[in-house]
Amino acid sequence: MIGIPTILISLVPENSKQMGPPRIFTPKGFKLGNCLGGPFQVELQREVMRDALSRWEAREEAGTLWEREYAEYTGYDDSWKKVLEEG
Amino acid sequence: MSMSRRCIPYTPRTRELSQSVFALVTTAGVHLRAQEPFEVAGDNSWREIPGNVQASDLMVTHDHYDHRDADQDINCVFPIDRLRELAAAGIIGGVAEKHLGFMGFSQNLRDLYERAAPEMAKIILHTNADAVLLTAG
Repeated sequence: MIGIPTILISLVPENSKQMGPPRIFTPKGFKLGNCLGGPFQVELQREVMRDALSRWEAREEAGTLWEREYAEYTGYDDSWKKVLEEG
Repeated sequence: MSMSRRCIPYTPRTRELSQSVFALVTTAGVHLRAQEPFEVAGDNSWREIPGNVQASDLMVTHDHYDHRDADQDINCVFPIDRLRELAAAGIIGGVAEKHLGFMGFSQNLRDLYERAAPEMAKIILHTNADAVLLTAG
């Protein structure tokens, strides 16, 4: 079977990991809808992309989760997590 | 070929990042404005997004996350402009001829697992993509 190497940017890694993604990167604390950062936060989006791609590039054990915090992110808001938990 | 849900499917990369063409696949409900919107109550269909799409031609249909930021700047969930910049800078090999948008809220997980996901993977495999960046909301 031919596959294709992937990298997943997930904001809910505890859920995503259940599906067994081979490579997963989480920008910590970003709210849903801000997978790459906030609107027009171009430099931040670029940085998140480069970090995600570096995980794609690294030869690591399948399923390794990487997380990183970004000081530039300003949209921190935990309320969406409660909605998710309540289903 | 069916796979155990306990295994992690892993395909190693065979090219360097700078030689690899990337496709975007998202579950954030992204599609062309001209395409039929997703059914937010549950939808296993996908939309093919051309590789040369303009960000302004894209929109989000999704009821399960606040996409007001993505409505302003689609790159929040579908980083097409960021991908192009990386290609122009030679950091990646290029932008794929096709991307996929999906809605990610499904009432039929079996169909998603057994039919939709493999078909989407096949579509991408038949393009010039060497790699995929997956995003959710």
